[in-house]
Amino acid sequence: MAPSAAANSPPSPENTECNLQPFFVLHKALPSNSERKSMEKTASRKRTRRRIDLSPSSPKSSEQSEAEFAGDHHLRTDAFRYVWSKIDSTIKNVLRNINADVFNDILFWVQESFNTTCSCGMPDRAKATRSYPVVTGPLSKQIYTGLVFTQNMELVDDLLTFKDLGLHLTSHGCHVANLSSFDFSAKNGIDGCLRGLLRQFLLANLDVADMSILASWYIDQGNYENPMVVIIDDMERCCGSVLSQFILMLSEWTVKMPIILIVGVATTVDALSSILPSYALQYLSCHKFILGSPADRMEAVIEAVLVKQCSGFSVGHNVAIFLRNYFFRQDGTLTSFVRALKIAIVQHISMEPLSFMLKGLSDEDSQDLWSESPVFLPELFKRAFDLPSFRRNELTETNEEILARGLSDLKRLKELWSSAVMCLYEAGKGHKITMFDLYCETLDPELHHSRVSDHHLGLETKVGMSSSDHQIRERLQNCGFIHQVIRKVRDLPEVLLCQLLKNWEKHTKGIIEIHAKVRELQSSLKFEDDKGLKQGLTDLSKRQKIQSNFNIEKDAKRLNEKTTELIIWMVKNYMLPIECIPFHEIICFTNVSKLQSALIGDPRRTIQVDLLEFHKILKCKCCSKSGNNPLPSMHDTSIMYVLTQEHGDLINLHDWYQSFKASILHPRIKRKHRLKHSPSPKKKMDTSESRKKSEASVQAQFSRAVTELQITGLLRMPTKRRPDYVQRVAFGL
Amino acid sequence: MGKEESPQVVTRRTTRSSSSSTPNSKNLETTKSCNPQPMTINDLVFGDEHISFDDLISSLPGRRSQIHELVRLLGPLNSPTIPLFIYGGTSTGKTSVVLQIFRYLNRPFVYTSCRTCYNPRVLFESILNQLSLHRKDVGNGYSSAKRCERPSDFVNLLREALLTVVNNLKGHLENSSSKKSIGRISGKMVYLIIDNLELVREWDKSANLLPFLFKLYAILMLPEVGLVYISNTSPDTYYSDTGYIEPIPVYFPDYTEEDLRQIFLRNQANQKLYSSFLEVVLRPFCRTTRRVDELSAAFSPLFKKYCEPLSDLGISPSEEMKRRLFSHLQPHIMPSLNEVFKISSRPSSEGESNKEKANRQGCTQRLRGCPAIDEIDFHMSTSAKYLLISAFLASRNPATLDASLFDSTGGSDNRKRKRNSSVKSMEHKEAAEQELLMKGPGTFPLERLLAIFQCITSVEEYTLEEEEPGTNSLGVESGDSGLMSDVLLQVSSLCNANFISKGGSCPLDGSTRYRSTASEDMALKVARSLKFPLSKYLYRR
Repeated sequence: MAPSAAANSPPSPENTECNLQPFFVLHKALPSNSERKSMEKTASRKRTRRRIDLSPSSPKSSEQSEAEFAGDHHLRTDAFRYVWSKIDSTIKNVLRNINADVFNDILFWVQESFNTTCSCGMPDRAKATRSYPVVTGPLSKQIYTGLVFTQNMELVDDLLTFKDLGLHLTSHGCHVANLSSFDFSAKNGIDGCLRGLLRQFLLANLDVADMSILASWYIDQGNYENPMVVIIDDMERCCGSVLSQFILMLSEWTVKMPIILIVGVATTVDALSSILPSYALQYLSCHKFILGSPADRMEAVIEAVLVKQCSGFSVGHNVAIFLRNYFFRQDGTLTSFVRALKIAIVQHISMEPLSFMLKGLSDEDSQDLWSESPVFLPELFKRAFDLPSFRRNELTETNEEILARGLSDLKRLKELWSSAVMCLYEAGKGHKITMFDLYCETLDPELHHSRVSDHHLGLETKVGMSSSDHQIRERLQNCGFIHQVIRKVRDLPEVLLCQLLKNWEKHTKGIIEIHAKVRELQSSLKFEDDKGLKQGLTDLSKRQKIQSNFNIEKDAKRLNEKTTELIIWMVKNYMLPIECIPFHEIICFTNVSKLQSALIGDPRRTIQVDLLEFHKILKCKCCSKSGNNPLPSMHDTSIMYVLTQEHGDLINLHDWYQSFKASILHPRIKRKHRLKHSPSPKKKMDTSESRKKSEASVQAQFSRAVTELQITGLLRMPTKRRPDYVQRVAFGL
Repeated sequence: MGKEESPQVVTRRTTRSSSSSTPNSKNLETTKSCNPQPMTINDLVFGDEHISFDDLISSLPGRRSQIHELVRLLGPLNSPTIPLFIYGGTSTGKTSVVLQIFRYLNRPFVYTSCRTCYNPRVLFESILNQLSLHRKDVGNGYSSAKRCERPSDFVNLLREALLTVVNNLKGHLENSSSKKSIGRISGKMVYLIIDNLELVREWDKSANLLPFLFKLYAILMLPEVGLVYISNTSPDTYYSDTGYIEPIPVYFPDYTEEDLRQIFLRNQANQKLYSSFLEVVLRPFCRTTRRVDELSAAFSPLFKKYCEPLSDLGISPSEEMKRRLFSHLQPHIMPSLNEVFKISSRPSSEGESNKEKANRQGCTQRLRGCPAIDEIDFHMSTSAKYLLISAFLASRNPATLDASLFDSTGGSDNRKRKRNSSVKSMEHKEAAEQELLMKGPGTFPLERLLAIFQCITSVEEYTLEEEEPGTNSLGVESGDSGLMSDVLLQVSSLCNANFISKGGSCPLDGSTRYRSTASEDMALKVARSLKFPLSKYLYRR
């Protein structure tokens, strides 16, 4: 696949030819223009494109829109794969790390409760497979149950978590079965649930599912060496009666085989008691585990993926804000955030021809960013220097070196930015300042401009908090989070300050300018520490001690000031939002409206538009010229829907039918005249057929179209109160 | 804190029906090495060593008369018996007594529980497997000896299997009369024990399985078969007019307080300490329940609490100490009486959530939601919260009120009118209120939910922008993206989380009715998190 053999030279036509996907060929047949990607074109095709983009698993869908940049579509596909695999693995790692603690807790608890079960004596083989219950005490029927609180009403994010938990426990020797609410449906009853259990444990599909089979299997697996764990990931959706039946059954067998339940609870504890009857509840001896909340996970993912730049891809301010609101307001799942991110990448790569450089930019070793490009270099440069972010600089000369420098600058500035953001985040961590907010704010180019243009940030430190200047207060409101962080730093006690500096040192590693300053501050802190200690040891007189304490306090205040200055300096000089950097278009996705339309599909509107403007999709010659008048050649449903536009919210069925009939049959008269001039045999047949069209068939067409409109949710059928009227449900577009 | 880490020997009562652990561990080692031997006829008796009648009586306190009666009814060796029907409340020792009696009698029996055997086929096959000494394992692909689904097949197969077993037993008897040492089985009778019979009523829709089971004795016509039914409901609750021989009922009454004391005192390491503990707790708890399993579940944490001030668990407490221990325990008794189930959590390494956990640790969840925690402890998106509130409103408020509540002009008028209401209308209203209370939350169509949702979100956004223009700079910019996108998706996830329940109906009609099942506490919490004035919109009669 690597076309790097053809480096620097335009690829031979065969080469590009054989790389074409069938998809691509199909698309190329459309009239394509050789000019650079025209916005109008994509805008008019937005809808079709969106539909394709909605299946984000096919990255190939991205490249089809840029027919003109024929050679590099595979490069871009490569870039997409590269970027996405990086992001994907990063996210997985982050989530694994977040869950690691809880998983270990759970494992420890599982082993502990297994040991307690075993310590009261396990029955021997003959006993365990006998059918009568072995009772070793009234408490022996208790089932150890771990309640894992996912802290999210939506379950999607945690499906993977529970699978991981299963793997984690399996790797430590437990026998694990992952059941879901589908196994606890009222339809299949307890049978289905046991079947699922046996399928997972025995890996066999059995004729009759029975607990005794499980018991004898378990004993075959080595005598009571490993616990059996049953994970039910979504308790809320389970059918209560089946679940309680399952619990009662388990409680009869729990002495014979130590089954431990792990139950995922999405909402509150009350959910458990509302689903299960008390006689089932009393058999559960519950332990509580709490998974990381979705907000925490989101923080970690944002930090790892977007701030620390694992892949080189980044998003603009507006997109970030959109993502943030989408998460907090609409959906609240990490899954949909990840999906949104993926769609953003796909769209970015499909829209931005130079995006293939993403891969080269984020790779450490590759220096030749455009050596792999099959495109003529001049064209590439032209494109790069056409980018508005470069043109802003009003540099006239354009050569390879400038581009190279620009790109490396871009990379470096981004690193600076991310370490500055990390420092801010570190400082604001304990004070309810979330990464997402901070991230959105630091991306805002306008805020940055205001920061740079007026020197308030610096000024204010000199004036101090006492200044109640109106302007300052206004600005204080404007850059909320950063300012809050700075204020927090100013009031930080010494111990925490020390820790903060240590963390900063970690985050600024590799960035010489900041790192040096942080080190300097740290050493001064240590020095003062020592000094204070020495003073405390040597000076024994009380007054001096107080004095020294006072001094230390003053020193600490000074240190706080210094740290504050440092962070302000960092924010001002190094935290350049991505959208202010030249060539950012290559790596940065900024088109919110596209992402929005791809994410928040508007199905009903789309249906309406498609019904009214169907000729844009069908591209048939017969209907396109009609304007808004229904023609008989149109689809019945379309005719009907066009006709509804004339009505209010109630449509009289009879009127509607009459106009439908008219529009089907009426224009025929006109056509008859025309037919005399050009009698083609095909049309003749058509008319003779339509003449035969009886009232009944028209009615059939009519009722079918009405039903279709009802199914698409645009109409409501007549009610008993008004049997001759249908109701329009959707209005306007 | 460290409750679970150090399981105390005292609270673990090892045996109730005395399957002592020492011989087990020996057996464990032997069976681990060798392959499972084929089952013999000996496997039909209770496995453990023989116990004497005195042991039997003393191991089951408070069940002396029932044991006597059962032994009498089972009769001497090899005498045919009429089916027995043992009934009594849950956890009154029915199963244990029967099993222990068979252990004492050393007679072969087949036990099946209708709990584990959850449908007729499993029940039949389980009985047949045991009779034909068949064990499901890898070798036979975990299959049964015979496939049997219908009662008629079952009768034939059962008769066959019983006859072989009985013949075996007779042969065994003759053998053992010559060689006394092996003979563990007494008699040539086989008993079928069917436990949890009350469950059959539920899985038996056409109601012919129960009469069949009751008639089994008459159908089989084998004098060598004894049948024992165990149920926790009385024989009156079964259909008893289908002409089978009525089984002899044996009733197990609830334990008395004294019985319970004896049961709990058995196998306690420190009898004196425990009896002083029982003095404190047994009486109040006996008023709510006499079930041994419930009581022991409640007692074990309480006893740990009781022992907390003690350093040495072996001491016999003096009067003064008893008083001190009592005063230590007293505050915990009442909450423990009310709690349905409790959740413990371990102190974990996580610093953040530790505090919250510590809060919860003591706080037990009661059935009536506890109002202690102010914020919802799980994540919901804003639109889901609004939906929850609108569903709650739609369920609580009468539909006729919607217009006046959400119309800016109508609301105040309505309230005035309400104040001027006459006595009669007040009475009327009270009746309506009562009715509403009985009916629970009302149902509503999806359209109404969406309409309310639209109203409250638009109102909220309006006020939000008006009141605090500066602070939420991130929010205002995205005002146009609104909250309307995935509402239907959110409704379905609310349904999944059991906050809204959905009545079944034709999806094409669009007339599915929903009902909010969220508690008022929950709705209030959610409203508080959104700063939504829920009480303003709630219709309070």
